[in-house]
Amino acid sequence: MTTRRDFLTVSLVATGAALAPRLAGAAGKATTKSLTTVRESSFIKAFDDYFVKTLAPEYEKLTGIKVGYEAVSVGGMLTRLTTMAETKSGPEIVHTGINWPHLFDQSLVDVSDLAGEVGRKLGGWHEQVQEVVVVNKKWKALPWGNIGQLEVYRTDWFKEVGVTKFPETWEDLLAAGRLLKKKGHPFGFEIGHGFGDNHGWMYPLLWSYGGREVDRDGKTVLIDSSETAKAVDFCRRFYQETMLEDVLGWTDVNNNKAFLGEQISCTNNASSILVVAKRDFPEIAKVTDHALNPNGPKGRYHVLNAQGLGIMTYAPDQAAAKAFLRWLYDDKQMSRWLTAGDAYYAPFLHGYDNHPMWNAEPRYMPYKESLKTSRPHAWPGPVGHAASENVAKYVLVDMFAKACRGDATKDVIATAAAQLKQIYKAK
Amino acid sequence: MVGGRRFGERVLRLYLPLGFFLVAMLFPFYWMAITSIKPNRELYSAKIMPLIVHQPTLQHYVDLLEQTNFLTWTYNTILVAVVTTVVSLVLGAMIAYPLARLNFPGAAVVAIGVAATYLVPQPLLFIPMSDVINRLGLSNTLSAVMLTYPTLLIPFCAWLLMGYFKSVPRELEEAARIDGASRFQAMLRVVLPLCTPGLLSAGIFAFTLAQNEFLYALIFLTKSDVRTVPVGAITELIRGDVFYWGQLMAAALLGSIPVALIYSFFVDYYVASLTAGSVKN
Repeated sequence: MTTRRDFLTVSLVATGAALAPRLAGAAGKATTKSLTTVRESSFIKAFDDYFVKTLAPEYEKLTGIKVGYEAVSVGGMLTRLTTMAETKSGPEIVHTGINWPHLFDQSLVDVSDLAGEVGRKLGGWHEQVQEVVVVNKKWKALPWGNIGQLEVYRTDWFKEVGVTKFPETWEDLLAAGRLLKKKGHPFGFEIGHGFGDNHGWMYPLLWSYGGREVDRDGKTVLIDSSETAKAVDFCRRFYQETMLEDVLGWTDVNNNKAFLGEQISCTNNASSILVVAKRDFPEIAKVTDHALNPNGPKGRYHVLNAQGLGIMTYAPDQAAAKAFLRWLYDDKQMSRWLTAGDAYYAPFLHGYDNHPMWNAEPRYMPYKESLKTSRPHAWPGPVGHAASENVAKYVLVDMFAKACRGDATKDVIATAAAQLKQIYKAK
Repeated sequence: MVGGRRFGERVLRLYLPLGFFLVAMLFPFYWMAITSIKPNRELYSAKIMPLIVHQPTLQHYVDLLEQTNFLTWTYNTILVAVVTTVVSLVLGAMIAYPLARLNFPGAAVVAIGVAATYLVPQPLLFIPMSDVINRLGLSNTLSAVMLTYPTLLIPFCAWLLMGYFKSVPRELEEAARIDGASRFQAMLRVVLPLCTPGLLSAGIFAFTLAQNEFLYALIFLTKSDVRTVPVGAITELIRGDVFYWGQLMAAALLGSIPVALIYSFFVDYYVASLTAGSVKN
């Protein structure tokens, strides 16, 4: 027969058993054992390797938390991020680029507190980066660096035609290009549907002539202007008088290959050409240099492509993820990580403006200088979904490409204006 | 004689078209092979004749095998392809047979449904599929793709096999039933052997599709040691705007060997089955 004592004992044991998983869960939350970071694989392999082989083990040794690293193929990060945001599962810490913090605003944790701390410690953030990572006054990612798009050119061939310093203006570059093409060293700027080297020079060209696609309000389409017409006319001459004909079908790979194959004397690219040249073509590396995009009548511009890290809202232990980012963005770690990146990423913290990583290779310095004049895609329009659609549909690229093909300036602008009105739902 | 009696006729009607198709079919493999053994200097130079290798090197193969998990990716790919092909063939045959041979209400609608399922594009499915995989706790395991690939391959195999099952005369099966075979035995011993070319076609296509699949593998397999060859090669051999052409081509060439072997093993049997009669040796 069951006594009252037996009943109490059984009840206590049963209650304890029922509560045990919850208690264990709570304890588990307080002691997160692992975090995972997902990133698009870096062009600089050493940058990825340093994270995996040095930084992650150091953090594990320090805190006991294992930091996993998932590399996603180039071009696959947006698909991965979309899946993570939609299914609310996957790595806790995520790589962001271009305008992704705006696209995935709802899925990213507010890291303003962390951004404030890091900024205070490391000299403050460059102002323009805030346009792409701050959404509704909240920091949605912590940027670590910009992948700049600059002019890459052959110093020896430019000297052959009497140009000893890279031309300051687009018109001067056109004049140099004419001479170089006659000498058998044409230019090769991507005008096809690649992922970066097309917009990398076309937006700066448009902006430097005073042209804009859409106003800051995101509702007023501004592309149909005399400034745009001047930029289009220049682009047509630039293509016809200086370039290889097949650039109209190029993607980002082609200009690298053509430059290293000694087919072209100048292009617009990140520093990857020089990095590969140093590794595989040392004699080409010796005569390769970088320069800022040329000035136009209305200034000099570059494209902003801020790379950063954010925390997904579904992360079970957001505090642990923040603690890791706080540690990673501490100068002791960030400084070494950026150095491993061989100055491929220009940091957005003023504390790194004179970082020793810039001294190893002075030819990367223009990438740092370009930050001051860098603007996000579709600037000055809002950096949201419409901007992404605009870029994905190659509105600007096609406008310039059709002009290069021979279409009338007013026709290509009218087509672009119609597309932009549809994308931005403007009148 | 095929192509004609005279040598000139044969050259014109047989050897020339054959040669043309041979070149067209083998050129991609030749291109892969020579690219994989060219040093970078030759790969990039526009001044060097691209169809010949001047200074062959195996460096790209060495780098591929030493610096990446290529052998692991190959093992994963073959394992996934074999498992999914077997599962898809068995289940595909089990769907196709009743739809082709049994008269039951709604069979036509189900048959159309199977074809329609095959036509649903992957980009529509990968997010819900990803949710299911995560709920099952299968992310970053080969089981994730072993479970999801059959969703594409079963409708494909069933659709292909239905046609083959329909082509086998009913009388053969009825004769087997009269002789005492159950319906299952009649299917197993009479219909299926006659549909061997169909099973082989479906198997080879399913294997190739599973081996080449990219989107699900990209989404579900994010760790290097569980990746398949297509995703592993793209992830680790394309960095920014720089393609490691030599290693990529080496990976593509080595990756195509399993399919080439399977084709070469089965091609004779496939052709023999295709041309064999059901009532005559």
